[in-house]
Amino acid sequence: MDILQKLYDMTAFGELFQSPGTILMLLIAFGLLYLGIKKRYEPLLLVPIAFGVLLANFPGGNMAVTPSNSVNNIAHLTLIEIAKDHGIMNMLYYALIKTGLLPPLIFMGVGAMTDFGPMLRNLRLAFFGAAAQIGIFTVLISAVLLGFTPQEAGALGIIGGADGPTAIYTAIILAPDLLGPIAIAAYSYMALVPVIIPLVVNLTVSERELKINMKKQDKLYPNKTKIKNLRVVKIVFPIVLATMVALLVPSSVPLLGMLLFGNLVKEIGADTERLFDAASNNIMNAATIFLGLTVGATMTSETFLNSTTLAIVGGGFLAFAISIAGGIFAVKTYNLFAKKKINPLIGATGLSAVPMASRVANEIALKHDSSNHLLQYAMSSNISGVIGSAVAAGVLISFLG
Amino acid sequence: MNEPLSTALIVLAVGMITVFVILSLVVFSGNIIIRIVNKYFPETSINPSSVSKTPIINTDLDSSKMAAIVAAVDVITKGKGKINKIEKS
Repeated sequence: MDILQKLYDMTAFGELFQSPGTILMLLIAFGLLYLGIKKRYEPLLLVPIAFGVLLANFPGGNMAVTPSNSVNNIAHLTLIEIAKDHGIMNMLYYALIKTGLLPPLIFMGVGAMTDFGPMLRNLRLAFFGAAAQIGIFTVLISAVLLGFTPQEAGALGIIGGADGPTAIYTAIILAPDLLGPIAIAAYSYMALVPVIIPLVVNLTVSERELKINMKKQDKLYPNKTKIKNLRVVKIVFPIVLATMVALLVPSSVPLLGMLLFGNLVKEIGADTERLFDAASNNIMNAATIFLGLTVGATMTSETFLNSTTLAIVGGGFLAFAISIAGGIFAVKTYNLFAKKKINPLIGATGLSAVPMASRVANEIALKHDSSNHLLQYAMSSNISGVIGSAVAAGVLISFLG
Repeated sequence: MNEPLSTALIVLAVGMITVFVILSLVVFSGNIIIRIVNKYFPETSINPSSVSKTPIINTDLDSSKMAAIVAAVDVITKGKGKINKIEKS
């Protein structure tokens, strides 16, 4: 009998049955795994995050991330001490996440996989990527009114940028305690873009506006400047843009600088193909695995199961919806004064979530006019939205960090 | 007005203005780059009239490689293609 008791004590069952919050967290992890695997909601990140939640919540596994406080002083220990006293997940978290290393590395990979061509061909559409950042700042104010500190409110608002690495990077600096729920909210809503964009579009855009055919508008009012050598433009553009952004908003350089570097090695071509391959495959994949697992491991019942998480989930949705509406209303305002009309769906894609938002906008347009292929146009504001949200993150960090 | 709210309002104003300024600069600098590249580095396209009618074939090329190139061009263009010049890029 004594042996059986010892065997039972060796397992995690005893501890598990004593803490219903942990059981709930395990159920949340299973739910997230289901969404990632079966429903294919951002599986590349949701699966590692969900598995990180699972690992962190097994009692005795020693894989949960321990928040730094004055008692444990974990942030000031060496990595070897952290690994020895708090487990390898804490070592990874404090080395890779707390230092802010992984989001810029992922941005480098994103840059290597981004084609600025559609944006360069339709440069004026890039303005709508700015309007679609309004959700970030509106939710910042709403969250402050609800009692969040400005730092927490900023980290919550950045969910409206619809850019996972940007949201995580901002949360690490402004509100590391809220990192887990913010990452989950950001990636969940990005996965729900095919639901959220049509919802906001139905509420704000008329049938007549949805039928605005971008190619017909282009034929009626052709672009004055044609690009004669796109390859050279694509190589020069990231260099010039990185220089400009570094001078004006230095705090956004870790994200935008790495994004533009990744893009540059892609555009140079054969001479830097190995760098491009490393940035877009090996480094990107390794960074994604460690980011997902460690962010997931921050979500224990103590840090996740509270009213703040609910507020983040609600606020995140609001930020998303306002950002989409912001882009749409910017296009509507533009159309009041311009001869060459723009389909408001272009504005809806200004919130990032590349390329899902553009695909969704294209599908909506095709439903109303089967010849209205606006993917290339939508990609312009979509890509500028990535730049816009990184700049917005830089402003939040500069003012609130 | 309490301090956090006034901070948030300032961040709203500064943030939106900064995002608009940066994306305006993206548009502006993009246009400038396109104009400069169009003027000084337009893509060099081969003018058919300027191409020599007589084939210029590198005689240093190994005969087996030459045969392979000729065969490949012949298959792809279904016998209509002609090799004017072979250069290492």
